[in-house]
Amino acid sequence: MHEMSITQAMLDLALGHAQGQRITDIHLQVGMMSFVVPECVEFYFEYLSQGTLAEGAKLHFETLPIEITCLDCGRQADLSDWADDPPRAIMVEALARGCRCGSKNLRLTGGTGFDMISLEVEVQEARGKKQEKKRRTSDD
Amino acid sequence: MVKIPVLKSITEANALLARALRERFAQQDVLVLNFIASPGAGKTTLLERTIEKLNGELRLSVIEGDPTTSLDSERIFAAGVPVVQINTDGGCHLEARMIQAALEQLDVEDADVVIIENVGNLLCPTGWDLGEDAKVVIASLPEGDDKPLKYPMAFATAQAVVINKIDLEPYLPAKVSVLRQNALQINPHLAVFEVSALTGQGLDGWVDWIWEKLAEKRESRCTKCP
Repeated sequence: MHEMSITQAMLDLALGHAQGQRITDIHLQVGMMSFVVPECVEFYFEYLSQGTLAEGAKLHFETLPIEITCLDCGRQADLSDWADDPPRAIMVEALARGCRCGSKNLRLTGGTGFDMISLEVEVQEARGKKQEKKRRTSDD
Repeated sequence: MVKIPVLKSITEANALLARALRERFAQQDVLVLNFIASPGAGKTTLLERTIEKLNGELRLSVIEGDPTTSLDSERIFAAGVPVVQINTDGGCHLEARMIQAALEQLDVEDADVVIIENVGNLLCPTGWDLGEDAKVVIASLPEGDDKPLKYPMAFATAQAVVINKIDLEPYLPAKVSVLRQNALQINPHLAVFEVSALTGQGLDGWVDWIWEKLAEKRESRCTKCP
């Protein structure tokens, strides 16, 4: 449901940074415990970006693992500490089993965000020159 | 092709606004609680009982979030407390900008405690900071005692959980003790209250917690600030 407004915020952020240049790629990081479903973002992006400089841009999603911090010994660990290929459900088990130091005083400290890392844009200046060149040759 | 670094959270606009709201609430010395629960967990009934217990001793204000209708704010208004209704028009959670808009209609300076009743939903309200001092989860027993395991984020980010409808325990397979244990497994720092908002059972401990949070906030006030 909320992916619509999140996608609009993402699109606004991208257009703000592109400074009038055409966007071809957007690199994003999604935490495993964020409230964002990449497939939904892609769906809304196609719709919302129509007619903007981001239309047709490819979205690249990198998934960030859940990170748990022990408030007693300070150990920070992602869920690979508890399982090789950790699904979301492992978080609950990890919190129940506790830290290697024996403490159960744990807090979820990462893997909840949705961040934009970078954009790729077409260089307008080069394109402008190319068009100019083309125009000149056609004039000839 | 040129790469432009961005390195920004998509929800940064919300985070910045929430920070500004938190500063404003701190300056005005008002405690802000964000109620998060499933639809039907008893958020509004708990609010009504809380108002009965505190009105006259503390000045309360309420911000009601619902997808549609003003049914809840009418109940709160009838209880004698200033209230603003936010309709999200189908939106599944409240955002900081909605709280900012609601504050234009609510004199927070005249309040000791503002309670925000979020949209009934245990998922995404957790992800949007509203500038509150604490999130409070209301989990009612008929929903099942495994709720903390299925919706861990709500419990992981809250400071308190109110287990509601405990008077129904004899009729249900769910157990209050199991719900409590599951909540503490997700977050050992949770303050847990077992109540029946309907009968009034267990409400004193919950109301005492609000007093404690308010005292804590006032003690931590910056003495240099005007």
